[in-house]
Amino acid sequence: MTAAAETQAVERRQHSLTLYAGAVLVGIHVVIALLTLVWLPYDPSAMAGGRLEPPSWLHWVGTDRLGRDLFTQLMIGSRIALMVGVGAVAIGAVIGVTLGLLAAFASRWLDDALAATLDILIAFPTLLIAMLVVAASDTASLSTAIVALGIALSAIVARLTRILAKRVLLMDYITAARTSGTSWLGIVLIHVLPNIWPTLSVNFALQFGLAVIAEASLSYLGLGAPPPNASWGRLLQEAQGTVYTAPIGAIAPGVALVSLVIGMNLLADGLREAIDPTRQAR
Amino acid sequence: MRPTKILLTAALLASVAFGPGALAQDYDPGATIRIGSLYEPQNLDNTAGAGQGINEAFNGNVYEGLFTLTDAGSVEPVLVEDYAVSEDGLTYTFTLREGVTFHSGEPLTSADVKYSIERVTAEDSRSSRKRSLSTITGIETPDERTVVITLSARSISLPYNLSYVWIVNDAAGDITSAEDGTGPYTLDEWRRGSALALTRFDDYWGEAPTNGAVLFQYFTDATALNNALLTNAVDIVTSVQSPDSLAQFAGNPQFTVTEGASTTKELLAYNDRVAPFDNVQVRKALARATDKARLLNSIWGEYGTLIGSFVPPTDPWYVDLTGVDPYDPESARELLAEAGYPDGFEFTLDTPDYDPHPIVAQFLQSEYAKIGVTVNINIITANEWYTKIYQEHNFEATLQEHVNHRDIVFYGNPDFYWGYNNPEVVQLIADSEAASSEEEQTEKLTEANRIIAEDAASNWLYLYPQIVVSAANVTGYPVNGLNSQFFAYDIQKSN
Repeated sequence: MTAAAETQAVERRQHSLTLYAGAVLVGIHVVIALLTLVWLPYDPSAMAGGRLEPPSWLHWVGTDRLGRDLFTQLMIGSRIALMVGVGAVAIGAVIGVTLGLLAAFASRWLDDALAATLDILIAFPTLLIAMLVVAASDTASLSTAIVALGIALSAIVARLTRILAKRVLLMDYITAARTSGTSWLGIVLIHVLPNIWPTLSVNFALQFGLAVIAEASLSYLGLGAPPPNASWGRLLQEAQGTVYTAPIGAIAPGVALVSLVIGMNLLADGLREAIDPTRQAR
Repeated sequence: MRPTKILLTAALLASVAFGPGALAQDYDPGATIRIGSLYEPQNLDNTAGAGQGINEAFNGNVYEGLFTLTDAGSVEPVLVEDYAVSEDGLTYTFTLREGVTFHSGEPLTSADVKYSIERVTAEDSRSSRKRSLSTITGIETPDERTVVITLSARSISLPYNLSYVWIVNDAAGDITSAEDGTGPYTLDEWRRGSALALTRFDDYWGEAPTNGAVLFQYFTDATALNNALLTNAVDIVTSVQSPDSLAQFAGNPQFTVTEGASTTKELLAYNDRVAPFDNVQVRKALARATDKARLLNSIWGEYGTLIGSFVPPTDPWYVDLTGVDPYDPESARELLAEAGYPDGFEFTLDTPDYDPHPIVAQFLQSEYAKIGVTVNINIITANEWYTKIYQEHNFEATLQEHVNHRDIVFYGNPDFYWGYNNPEVVQLIADSEAASSEEEQTEKLTEANRIIAEDAASNWLYLYPQIVVSAANVTGYPVNGLNSQFFAYDIQKSN
């Protein structure tokens, strides 16, 4: 084996390590989230134990002030986090890709206007936009939070889509397709989307992590899913007052949150490396 | 801060000039007492919805009343030297104390008193005691030192109610961001969002404070507040809001922890006007479905007191009514069935977004699920609470902490936000006001209290403990904090 080939093999292994680590971390959360649909250690609202019990065989990460099992709450937190991530990214993708493609195909001045609007929207932090959307709706709920985050994310997706699509549209094969009479919808479906999809999906994985953190922040501020939805952000907020007497109540949701976000980011990294055309060419 | 510095310098000079023996106190008379609190006032006017924080900072410190409610719970004259009540109890003649000046330098006159009372009873006043003073029909000021108040009906608690009325200079104008009172401290500076600085008023008519200045420092977070005390950034925490932070202070000789008698009640207030809460049996059922001992333990650990009505043990008309609707889910279910809700019902619980309300709401949600009642928790801000619930009465049930002392009279007002309307209670409370002796007043209110409890007018969940933690070198602060007052003038700080 040549030296170059050997380096390449080592790099490959590193790539796949990132991908696997990410997949495992995210996978754990997915398994837990699916499990909550059929089984939970305790009824989440049942005050099954005493006040702030330390971890034990009965309560793996102890109980909260009301004596509810924290592990149960954390499991439900996984489900809520994944719902938020998937939901927000899906909404962001639909709105963002549509807008981005429109901009890419639009006449000059409409494209400029859309691009400027997107740039302004991106200047606002995701959390701020989400807070505005939640404030505009009457009551805070999990679905408003998801919609709010989806809208906030769509600006980022739209800008990326526009840039990627424009790059594709400059290619010779697009000109060829146009001259041969392919409709613009056909161009989008046959040429543009398949070309930009790999880059977009890496971006979606990153947005997913962003959405999960933003939802935790919203819940921490009391703007996310209302109680008794056991969002990690709300668990953190509730544990804040008891952080000295029962630190596990704050640590556990923190670890859960970080593990999912890191997992998602590793997955994104791994995906990017796996699909990176420059690397494949070497 | 300049006046503080001058005072400090003066104290230093005095100690140098007269030697160490001249200053016999073992405390520093020029010290700044730094008080940490979670209750920053919204503005500086207690008739403009400023919140409990303004009572804490200003009552007795910056403003004084004709009377004061002492930390021990008695009513004593302050700006009144003497007063006489007519035979029929309808005319009160107050003689004002001499030599009292406002911080602006103007002397206290009867016109100021008239102005101050009218501020509280005015149309747009948001004072919680506005209604208690509604029997006042006329305020005469025959001379500079005499105020004659005429009433439409006897009002035995007039002196008590007047303790809520700040005496403000009638030339002061808008006092939402400035002050002109007669108290031992003047407002030095209000840094919105962070602190209220008070400085000793040198021309104070009474005994001078045992410290030079007071700094109320505001925190939005209890953990940050406790950390401030731990790191000596504040000297006192006015009311500890969670038992879990006490572990850091209890048993540590550097700190003193006191538990006083509080008047703060945590309440599940129903809108008694609307179904199903217009039904006594439904209200009693919910009361019996609430394991209050467990709730109190969840929130306060070993602290706090269980109550069976709105009256705390420090009020003269307290009787133990915890046995009226004891925890009994079985009978709760029966009561619901009798009331026509065998399968329970569903209601929205408007829950203020700050501790302990969200956690209490979840507790109730879980408890009531056991008797088939579904609770939908709707989190709202304190401002929303004021408009939606207090003003518009647009709610089914809500959680709220009621801090006031002797506030059972709120149940005698059918227009109050919770809409409890029992003519018998309205009459008893009116009669108690018209009583000719305190015994009679106590008797009437005890009876009213009993009926309100039998009617389960609201669900009285528990009485907060009043826990003050201070650095060990600070003494003389109020331990009960009745009405959230925090008199600072006797606080001593040694070096």
